[in-house]
This record gives sequence, structure tokens and C-alpha cells, in this order.
Amino acid sequence: MENRPVLSSTRGESSLRKLGKSFYGMFSRLFIRDRALVSVLEEEALQTPGKTIFKNFLRHKLGLAGVIGLILILGFSFVGSYVKPMDLSYVETALRNIAPGYNYLRFPSQLVKEGVQQISSGISFSVALSNSGKVYVWGTQPAYILEGVSTSALTIPPEVQNAQIVQVVAGDRHILAVDAQGKLYGWGFNNFKQAEAPNLLLGKLSSKKVAMLIGGEAYSAVLFEDGELFVWGSTMSNRLDIVPEAYQGHIVKVAASPHNMALLLDDGTVAVTGIKGNAFSDVPRNMQDGTFNIVDITASYRAVLALDDRGKLHIWGDNEYDILKIPEFQGKVMALDAGKNNLAVLTDAGEVLYWGANHYNQLDLPQRVQKKKHVEIYSNMFQNYAVGADGSISAWGLKGFIFGTDEFGRDLLTRLIHGGRISLAVGAISVVISVIIALFFGMTAGFFGGQVDMILMRITDVVTAIPFLPIAITLSAVVVGKVSEMYRLYMIMVIIGVLTWPSLARLVRAQILLEREKDFVLAARALGVKQHNIILRHILPNIFNLVIVSVTLSYASSLLIEAGLSFLGFGVAAPTPSWGNMLQGAQTAAVLEYYWWRWLIPGLFVVMAALSVNLIGDALREAMDPKANEK
Amino acid sequence: MLKYIIKRLISLIPVIVLVTILLFALLKFMPGDPVRMMLGPGLKAEQYKAAEAVMRVKLGLDKSYPEQYFRWIGNTLSGELGWSSLSNRPVKDAISEPMRNTVILNIFVIILELAITLPVGIMCAVKRGSRFDNFWQVFSLVTYSMPSFFVALTLIYVVAINLQLLPPGGMPLTAYGKNFAYYVSWLRYMALPVITLTIISLAGTIRYVRNAMIDALSQDYIRTARSKGLAEKVVIYSHAFRNALIPISTIIIFSVFSLFSGSAITETVFAWNGIGQVLVKALLNRDFMLVSAMNLFFASLSITANFVADITYGLVDPRIKLE
Repeated sequence: MENRPVLSSTRGESSLRKLGKSFYGMFSRLFIRDRALVSVLEEEALQTPGKTIFKNFLRHKLGLAGVIGLILILGFSFVGSYVKPMDLSYVETALRNIAPGYNYLRFPSQLVKEGVQQISSGISFSVALSNSGKVYVWGTQPAYILEGVSTSALTIPPEVQNAQIVQVVAGDRHILAVDAQGKLYGWGFNNFKQAEAPNLLLGKLSSKKVAMLIGGEAYSAVLFEDGELFVWGSTMSNRLDIVPEAYQGHIVKVAASPHNMALLLDDGTVAVTGIKGNAFSDVPRNMQDGTFNIVDITASYRAVLALDDRGKLHIWGDNEYDILKIPEFQGKVMALDAGKNNLAVLTDAGEVLYWGANHYNQLDLPQRVQKKKHVEIYSNMFQNYAVGADGSISAWGLKGFIFGTDEFGRDLLTRLIHGGRISLAVGAISVVISVIIALFFGMTAGFFGGQVDMILMRITDVVTAIPFLPIAITLSAVVVGKVSEMYRLYMIMVIIGVLTWPSLARLVRAQILLEREKDFVLAARALGVKQHNIILRHILPNIFNLVIVSVTLSYASSLLIEAGLSFLGFGVAAPTPSWGNMLQGAQTAAVLEYYWWRWLIPGLFVVMAALSVNLIGDALREAMDPKANEK
Repeated sequence: MLKYIIKRLISLIPVIVLVTILLFALLKFMPGDPVRMMLGPGLKAEQYKAAEAVMRVKLGLDKSYPEQYFRWIGNTLSGELGWSSLSNRPVKDAISEPMRNTVILNIFVIILELAITLPVGIMCAVKRGSRFDNFWQVFSLVTYSMPSFFVALTLIYVVAINLQLLPPGGMPLTAYGKNFAYYVSWLRYMALPVITLTIISLAGTIRYVRNAMIDALSQDYIRTARSKGLAEKVVIYSHAFRNALIPISTIIIFSVFSLFSGSAITETVFAWNGIGQVLVKALLNRDFMLVSAMNLFFASLSITANFVADITYGLVDPRIKLE
């Protein structure tokens, strides 16, 4: 006879045989009783409590959503911070407060069909003129739009669309265009009236032909064919609007930086206007005394590159990012151009040379760009375009910022990743501190009772009586001057941990008091189980569920507390990012109103993290409570 | 009952002593020399030295810490809270107006909170699983996960900036006298902070009321009441709700008292001249006399809350033994 319990699967057998087997089983169980005894676990097909909880949890859709959300957020911040490292000291103020966008290099295909005449880039957008005289703009809005201050840089005014435009140029946040009749159009950011022609200029425009338009950082300039230069806009600090009489009428080309302008004069020498004393304005003697006959110049923000008539390159300025080291190349120089911290040269072989800073992949020329033969390069700010001999356009450099930038031009995405790591870690460690204290107090008080309980509970009362937010910010403000940046982070964890434990301690104590009176503890005692074993093996497992749920929920509130403290300026301090202190800027009206991404996106991340954790906590509570399943 | 209250009061004494010692230690730990702050700039070296010695004795800083502590307690009890360097007047005067503003703000919040929490919580418990219940469950879960400043910023952005319905923050002007328009402007300036604080405080309390009601409704006496044929209204309001009130009363008392210390962030965002904002300002400007007075105030509120909760618990629950 079979000596096996009939638990095995009967799948695959015919139903008749199944029926026969079950009848047989029934009879054998009733009368023969020769089956081996099975354990309770097998007989009742019990599962471990952990498995039950896990199964119950899986049934909870919201809880699962919370788990997925938390995994995504953890991955975003912890994996992300390895993928995207951050330089805490790096700022790029030229790129400040740009709205989210990832389309800086996405030029319209229509432009390739019509052929490029000219491309010029601002901080987050580019403007181009096609061979058929049409103006194209692409990229992201560089500034907020406010009536009387700025218009959309991306919307080409109708009068420009109808006019016969011959030249366009982009300033940092504005665009200028001039038509065949010498009429000047401007749109975009106009806070210094840089996007409209001043009255003084209007007369000149009607009488003289424009040779070159120049767009600078919040200023604009027009160079006329007779060699006269007119500068307007924000020129109070650099005084670029003062062009010495000696140069007026002799200027052939202008290379502009925010503080200086390098002027190429008709005698082949170079002069510089603007702020004196920096490396840019320190023009080498041989550029000025006629040793070299300069034919072309270009300028990054801090360096000038000049080409003489014998094809030799000259460079001077500030050697940041090794910009003064011209790479070796063969052939003749065809064209020069410059980004903010980069210089570019195009040789007659069609090769593009590019050197300088590489914060936004400006140096990483795509493979196909290197192979191609090019006829023209346009390099401005952080965007670079090379036009191939076949008329195609290759673009590289700054593609954009998915979440925009902050007031120092830092990428919000990178800061969110690293800030998330800090916020999540601060929350987690403060919860751990809080739980350790709470368990110690609650368990000791609950189990020993009497005097110990009295004293511990009085201490708990004292901590409960401490108003949390006021004392937390006071403590944080007090320690700030006394400890270093790193210790401050630890202090915040300790402050949150030390002030939040009483509620859990009370809960644990109450639960232990409840469990202590139950029969199974009495039974354990009667059996002579040692006291510490009663606590650890009999009582603790029974309050474990409660602790887990409570810890999960208090992790969510720790995240919110950290965000609140940092938001007020009493938590994690800049430049170290945290989700809370990234929102700090929102206390100013301008940020709130115009730079919505700077507070909305970090805020949403905080909400998402806290919500995920709360969902998990809720689901756990229900999964662990057998009564909840019946409800 | 009196015995119970007295017993609770006695057990409060060590708590008060320890909390005040903590606050005193915090005051001593604060950076900056109070004598220097009192004297201010503009004194020559010799003059300063002489004035410093006099002031040190006058402030009692030459004495030992325990003596200073008792002196501080004495001063506090007699209403001498020190000099606020931020507003350049006694701390007592500097906090009276903000305190009034905070109280007015919070009265509105409490009224709104109770008016929404109780009916909604009861309805959710009675109609468990209905669409109404699910909506409020989701609402409270989401708002519970929101930092108060995020709610505040979103409200300012939507209501004040985009819809331009209410002022984004600040205090109403008092220059034009107390006419009808003045009170209307009070309400307008108060609206957004009140809504923010209400939303934040609703999240926790609605769930609590709902759970307390569910517990009460699943008791045997409810079944008994129903089987006796009582009207459902009577069952819910006089059988279930009265019993649910025991846990509810505690959470409401705590939520009311924690409003005061918790409104610091909201007041700062809305530039509402309340005590929370004064505390933040005082900390940023290192006006530590003001800070310590504020903390004392918040601590006494918190101790009172615990006491009141205890007493109420004893009052509403006859099962709690009073000996």
C-alpha cells in the first residue's frame, strides 16, 4: 500500500481515476489509518508569517505602486549619482534660470533644405538665416516673458517674417536682425533695451549700411561699413559704449565678450575696449605695432584668437581650460569662431579644430563630424554647428537641461540626483537613530515597569514637551557656526532622530505591557524560560510588526522634516544640495512666479518620495493585520 | 476628579524643571556675547571695558550657572523676557503683536479643521469603501505626504499669481482705520495661510477620526443598538461617535497645539507676521533673547497640550480610573 500522503498533484490523470483515488483516500483515512503522521505545518498547509505578509502585500496595488516608486527614486538618486557625478564648486552664471528643455541643438530640417547662410546662438537657443532669406529660431525660452520687459525669443515677429532679412545675430537672451533697407529688428529679453534700436542709432541706420551685428551679454552693437561702431544695452559696468575716437571709422571686425570687445582695425592691428587690466585687454605688443597684419579675430569670454595674413594664429587672454594651447593642425585656416569658453578653427581641408572647456561636451565632436569636410563653422556660447560641403549641418555641444537650471546655472537634474541621495540618507539615518532610542526606552520601560518605567517615561514626557520645529531650527542655527559642513549634516540627522522618538517609545511600551499580560508569556514563565529570552523570543516578535509599520511611516515624515528644515535654511546648507534647500529660492517672488521649475520639480520629488513610503507603510499595516483582510 | 488633576499637575513638575533647564542650556550654548549685543557698537576700548563689567554684573553673568538659571526663571515669571536686538525693544512688546496674529490665524484653522474633519471622517467610516471614502483616503494620503511649504507655494502660484484672486502674502495695512474694508482685507490676506494649514492638518486627523469611528462601529453595542431598531442616525451619532470621541479628542487637542509651533514654515512663506515667522527671523538675525522667549512659549504650549490631553482623556473616558 502507498505510504505517502495524498498531497501530491493529480494533474494529468483522468477525472474518473481522480474520483476513484479520492474515494479510496477517504476510505483509507476513515478505516485503515496507515498513513504516516504529518506535521501540523504540512497538515494545515501553513505558511510562515513572513510569507503571509508578503502575499498579503502583493495583493495591495497601492502598496506595490509605492514600492515601485521608492525603487525608482532610490535608483534615480543612488545609481544616478554614479552616472552623473557633480562638481560642487562648478557654476555657470551665463546659463542661470533657464526653463526645462532639451532641444538646444534641434535645428529645423527646413534650414538644411534651404541652405545655411548664418547661425548664431544664445544661451539656450539659436537663430539662423537661410539662403532663401528666412529666419529660423529653435531651442528653449532663455528668459521669462513679461510685457514691457521681454518678448518670446522663440517667436519670430511677423514684421521680421515679411522683411528681407540680410543678417541675424543672437545675444545671450535676445535676437537682432537687420533687413536690406537697414531696418533693425530685435526680440527676446529686453531688460536693458538691448533688443530695440535707440533713437541715436536710427539716424545712422537710415544713412549707412550695416556691416556686422553683434549680440553680447545684455548688450548689442552695430558695426557700419564705414568702420563706425555703435554699442548699446547694459554697458554701465564695462563702458563698451565708449569707443575711442581714434578707432571709430577704422573698425573692420568686432569680437565681443561680456567685459571687452576686441576690435580689428583697417591697418591690421587689434585694439581692445571695455574693462581694463584683465588678460583679454592685455593685447600683445606685436599685434599693435604692425609686426603682424591681422585679418581675422574671434574671442571667447576670456581669450582672443587672431589670424594674420600669413596664416599664423595668435592668441592671448586668460589660460583657463588650457584655452591658450592651440592644437596642432595641418593646412590653412579658413574660418575662426568662439564659444563661451571654447575656440574653433576650420581648415581648408574641411577639418574642424575645437579646444577649451568641455563641461557640456563641446569638445566631443561626433564621429561623423570629424570625418566630414566642412565649409563653415558657427560656434557660440555652448552650441556648435558645422556646415558640410554637401549642405548638411552637424551640431554638438549643450543639448539642454531636462529640468532647467538654477540661479547659478547649475543643472537641476544633477542637483536633484545628488540632493535626493542626501535627503534620503538624512531621513533614513535619523529614523534609525530615533528607532534605536525608542526601542531601548519603550522595551526597558515596558518590561521592567516600576521605578525604571517611571523614570524613563518622565524622560519621554520631557522630550514630548519639547516643541519640535522651534527647537530643531534653534539647535541647527546654534550648531551651524561651531561645526564643519560635513558634521552639520550629521548634526541634522541627530537632531531629527533625538527629537522624534517618544511616540514610538510610547507605542512599544504600551504594546509590551499588553503582551506581557498574555497567556503565552505566563506559559513561558511557568516553563522557566529565562527573562531575556521571554523579551527577545516571545514578546519582541509580537511587537515587531508594529515597529516596522511605524518606522516606515516615520521615514516619510523624516523626509518631510528634512525638507522643511532645509527649506527654512536650517538644514542641509548650500552648496550641498538637498531636495529641501533646492526649494529655498522659492521664497523670493521672482523665482516663484517666473522660474517655476526651480521649486515645482524638487517639490514634486519630495512629495513622490514621501508618498511612496507612506503607501508602503499603509500597505504593510494592512498586510500585517489579519483582521484587515476580513474587513 | 480634582485628585486626578492634582496628581497630573504634580507629575508635571519634573517635566517643567527639565524642559526649562534644557532651554536654559540652549540659551547659554548660543553663539554671541549677550553683553556685547546689549552695548552695541560705537564704544571706545576703555569705555567698553568699563561698561562691559557693569553690564555683566547687571545681567548677572558673573554668577554661577545654577544662580543664573534661577534668576532667569524669576525674570521669566515676572515677565522680564529681556531685550530684543532685532526689533530694538523689550521681547515682551516684540512678541505681543505676532502672537495675536498667530492666534487669529489658528482660530480660523481650528474652526475649519473641525468643521471638515468630523463630518468627513464620520461619513468615511459610515460609507466605508464608497467613492466618497476613497476620495478622502487618497486626498489625505497625498496631502499627508506634502511638505507644508510645497502646498503653500503651489497655492500662491495658482491662486495668487495665475488667477490673481488673493494676495500672495504679507499683512493687511492698518493705516486706513478699522472699517469694513479693513476686515475684508484681513480675511483676504489670511485666506491662503489658513487654507494651507487646514489642508496640512486635515490629512492626519481625517484618517484618525475615520479609524476611530470604524473601531467604534464594529463594537457589539452598535449591533445591539441596531437590533433594537434604533434609527441609524441615533446609532451613529449617539452610540458610535460618542465613544469614538475618546481617541478623537486627544488627537484634536494635539493637532490644535501643534498648529502653533508647526506654522513657522507656513508663516514664513506667506510673510505672515506671526510668532513662527518671528522665530525664524530672530534665528537668522541672531536675536537669541527673542529666540529663547519664543522657545519658552512653545514649550509651555506643548506642556499644556499634554496636560490638557491627559485631563480630557480622564473626563471623556469614565473607564480611566482616577485614583
